[in-house]
Amino acid sequence: MSGDTGAFLAVGAVLFILGGIGFMTRRNLILIFLSAELMLHGVSLTLLTFGRLHRSLEGQSFTIFILTVAACEAALGLSLILSLYQRSKSLDVDIWSQLREPDLPASALQRDEDLPPPEPPSPARTAPRLTKAGGMPEIDDDFPAELARTTDPRKILTPSPADDE
Amino acid sequence: MTESVRQVVMLAAIAASAAGLWLATSPRAARALRMLGGLVASAGLMAAVFALYQAVGTPRELADEAMFWFFAGLAIISSVFMITTREPVYAALWFALATLGACGLFMLVGAPFLAAATIIVYAGAIIVTFLFVIMLSQQQGRSFYDQRARTPVMSIVASLLLLGAMLWSYQRWDAPERAAGGPALTAEAGSNPLSQAPDDDAFHTMRSLGRSLFGDYLYAIEIAGALLLIAGIGAIAIAPRRAEGTL
Repeated sequence: MSGDTGAFLAVGAVLFILGGIGFMTRRNLILIFLSAELMLHGVSLTLLTFGRLHRSLEGQSFTIFILTVAACEAALGLSLILSLYQRSKSLDVDIWSQLREPDLPASALQRDEDLPPPEPPSPARTAPRLTKAGGMPEIDDDFPAELARTTDPRKILTPSPADDE
Repeated sequence: MTESVRQVVMLAAIAASAAGLWLATSPRAARALRMLGGLVASAGLMAAVFALYQAVGTPRELADEAMFWFFAGLAIISSVFMITTREPVYAALWFALATLGACGLFMLVGAPFLAAATIIVYAGAIIVTFLFVIMLSQQQGRSFYDQRARTPVMSIVASLLLLGAMLWSYQRWDAPERAAGGPALTAEAGSNPLSQAPDDDAFHTMRSLGRSLFGDYLYAIEIAGALLLIAGIGAIAIAPRRAEGTL
């Protein structure tokens, strides 16, 4: 038996740690899930290495149980992710960070910087929104901007200038 | 390398990989810079493994060495890029590669059946299913929540501290191997067949693994089978009903 137990244990620890970093930093539900599976790989490798060190089959048997539970976890997790996706149409986990009972106060840990970035303000349009396609209308400078931005079809179709004679 | 030099190298490698991971998860860094950060992190983690490996005095076959470093490098590099890439589909494919690397290591520690089973279950079933979900759910292109990591600095620092602690304690595992046959037994214990040291050849075979599973762990295996069945039924019950052509 070769004496490289420490190296295998180190690789197992590194896989576990990288999975943990992924679990904490990723925001995609599926990638969080895959990071947990990566942690399981690290644990499996550690179990197998210790099993070899002690010349026992328990490490391998435990790894088979890990495999079984990981398969169950994947099936249930995928169906949970699908039902969450159907509600929010997004795989972002932060949408569910405020999930709570209706009579409890919101968590104090919510931070503004984790929220989605606000939509960039659209440049002000001065052209009236016409309901039908056509040529660009002639717009004089004193066309009222409020009127141009409105979407009310009556106001669009009747931009009557104020002539009180 | 002496003991203290080895420890310094290990800690420096972990610090370098922390810097690399921080760069790789930075939201504002350019693409090439993030890739460089991922490579630095992988190299640092490999160096930490190598520092621990240096403790071992027993020379080994060149093929063993080469296979160990190939599979370990594959697993570590793939894992680093899996947790830092911004494309979820690529992350899933990197995870498949990391699984292949880990399975190679399983093979090297004498568990070929588990290597095959893990490849079948993970790379064959889990990854394919998840790739379907990722591709169906992200038809609009990139989404903002894949572009920004959440609390990267805190999680990297905490995780690598844990890694340093684990590697530090693993330094003891480079102690000389147990003598073959185990420690000396008293006459009474030696006559007990259960305390006989297992045969070395039996350790690697599937036959002994099967005897262990269906002998020592018979009830646990049955419970695990029932668990699989229940999980399958539960997944069908939880999965939402959907309209045609949607996810």
